[in-house]
Amino acid sequence: MSAPLAPDLPDPTRGGEPGGVVAFHERQEYVGRDVRTEEMVFNMGPQHPATHGVLRVAIKTDGEYVRALQPHVGNIHRCAEKIGESVAFYQWIPYLDRMDYLSAMCNEHIGCMAIERLGEIEVPERAEYIRIIVAEVQRILSHLMAIGVYGLDLGAFTPFLHQFRERERGMDLLDHLAGGRLLYHYVRIGGVKRDVSQDWLDELDAFLGAVEQRLPEYNTLLLHNRIFQERTFNVGVIDRATAVAWGVTGPALRAAGVDFDCRRDAPYSIYDRFDFEVPSGASGLGGQVGDCFQRHWIRVREVEESIKIVRQAVAGLPEGPVLGRVPRGFKPPAGEVFIRGENPRGELSIYMVSVGKSEQAWRARCRGPSFSNIACITEVAEGLLIGDLVALIGSLDIVLGEVDR
Amino acid sequence: MGEVGDPTTAATADPVTERALTALRAALPDAVVEAQLDGAHPYIGVRATHLRAVCRLLRDDPALQYECCHLISAVDWPEPAEGEARIDVVYHLVSYAIRPDASYRTRPGKNDPYLALKVAVPRACPEVPTVMDIWIGADWHERETWDLMGVRFTGRKELPRILLPEDWPGHPLRKDWVYPASYHGVPIIPPEGM
Repeated sequence: MSAPLAPDLPDPTRGGEPGGVVAFHERQEYVGRDVRTEEMVFNMGPQHPATHGVLRVAIKTDGEYVRALQPHVGNIHRCAEKIGESVAFYQWIPYLDRMDYLSAMCNEHIGCMAIERLGEIEVPERAEYIRIIVAEVQRILSHLMAIGVYGLDLGAFTPFLHQFRERERGMDLLDHLAGGRLLYHYVRIGGVKRDVSQDWLDELDAFLGAVEQRLPEYNTLLLHNRIFQERTFNVGVIDRATAVAWGVTGPALRAAGVDFDCRRDAPYSIYDRFDFEVPSGASGLGGQVGDCFQRHWIRVREVEESIKIVRQAVAGLPEGPVLGRVPRGFKPPAGEVFIRGENPRGELSIYMVSVGKSEQAWRARCRGPSFSNIACITEVAEGLLIGDLVALIGSLDIVLGEVDR
Repeated sequence: MGEVGDPTTAATADPVTERALTALRAALPDAVVEAQLDGAHPYIGVRATHLRAVCRLLRDDPALQYECCHLISAVDWPEPAEGEARIDVVYHLVSYAIRPDASYRTRPGKNDPYLALKVAVPRACPEVPTVMDIWIGADWHERETWDLMGVRFTGRKELPRILLPEDWPGHPLRKDWVYPASYHGVPIIPPEGM
């Protein structure tokens, strides 16, 4: 028998009513007595598994509740913008890969588009289709990761292992095309590095089939799981006004009920040629618009839509070259360009200024979606349980490499 | 520089920027310095002193409703082709409530309905009023712009750095910034070309 926690109070293990469970703080002997309470500030991170990287969140707690918090970022700042001004245009593309290592293809795609628009470079049709294919495969992989790891954040280990089976297959797929598993440097200024073969397209088709077949299985493990729903319904609600004011983009914005997707509403590349739906937060799923569950649900739906886009792109893939003519020592004329594109986490925007007659950009500004998405937790997390804070951060699916750039 | 009604640019003028410019010229005639309506990146240049009034108008006008500050960037011009050394602070605003019709999506050139504002401030004393109370999302972007470019945003309670350590010397994205020899005793070897 262990010693009582507070010697002047009756032992709580022996004071309860027989047969009934009474909450600790509601026991008769405690009600009305002064209990010393104190707000405590502590750090979650920077080496905390649930922060998905090196994020430090200073939390002021009241018991298990978050009263205020402040995220501290910048731990892995790698001067992406300074480097962008110091190297030739084409040399900046691999840095964009490394910024958000889970959506390298999408970042390359958007970065190359910015430079191409600056230099007025034409991209061959076939390359545009291949870019869409790889970008959407990347979105599927990134969302699979997000879905699986979110289960892990909430204590469900199994879905993570299941989803990694398909993710592994997808990474092999991109490996066979680009020669890298995580970082590719496959999309180049003026097109893509290598052409796709029929074998690769068959492999792609098999991968899409496998994901499509397994998605319902994942949903029984997580989306329709009672425990998962209880943990995510009405938790960490980011409503429309909050999401918009904080500049939240991507699945988190759509979960808040804003029906906006760059691929449809400001189409870049050739996204206007494909038929796909943009899921946005809806009532009737249980929970409420903008909660953690809806963000998860949006990602599941987006995987389905990405499969549709890839299939259409493969069906429409024209013959032809995959890399246009780009002059050696490429120097775009003076000018500026702002481009935003939808990467799996939200809108990646690039604002580039060229002064002309120079191989380097004068300014290479880059906005990572996670940067604004994580900023909003200062407002949203107030009043949450600490366990739910983990659910909130996980549902935003941030990549710290891109917050810190 | 294209002006509204200018016959040479009227055909390609960006309707989104044009609409905002018309509203601004009507309500705040002194605020607008310059405007570029065509090309890949149309923008409206506004005076720093009028920035907050401009932003409040753009957010609150029921026909505009720019409810989101998407991005704040700064561009350093130590030796511009004309005028004095300056820093351009660029705001990219987005509206989700008011959107152009579907034909805008297929527009050649710019088909993205963002609005860009440009504020030129003297390089010797780069100060811009904060817009954090207008769009809370501007908070981190302003901190980053201060951190890397050294533009001071006035009217905020505090303006801490965000990406670099508090004791880091200078603002690295300034064109005349030089690498320190060492940081806390750790020697720094600048990479080639930087």
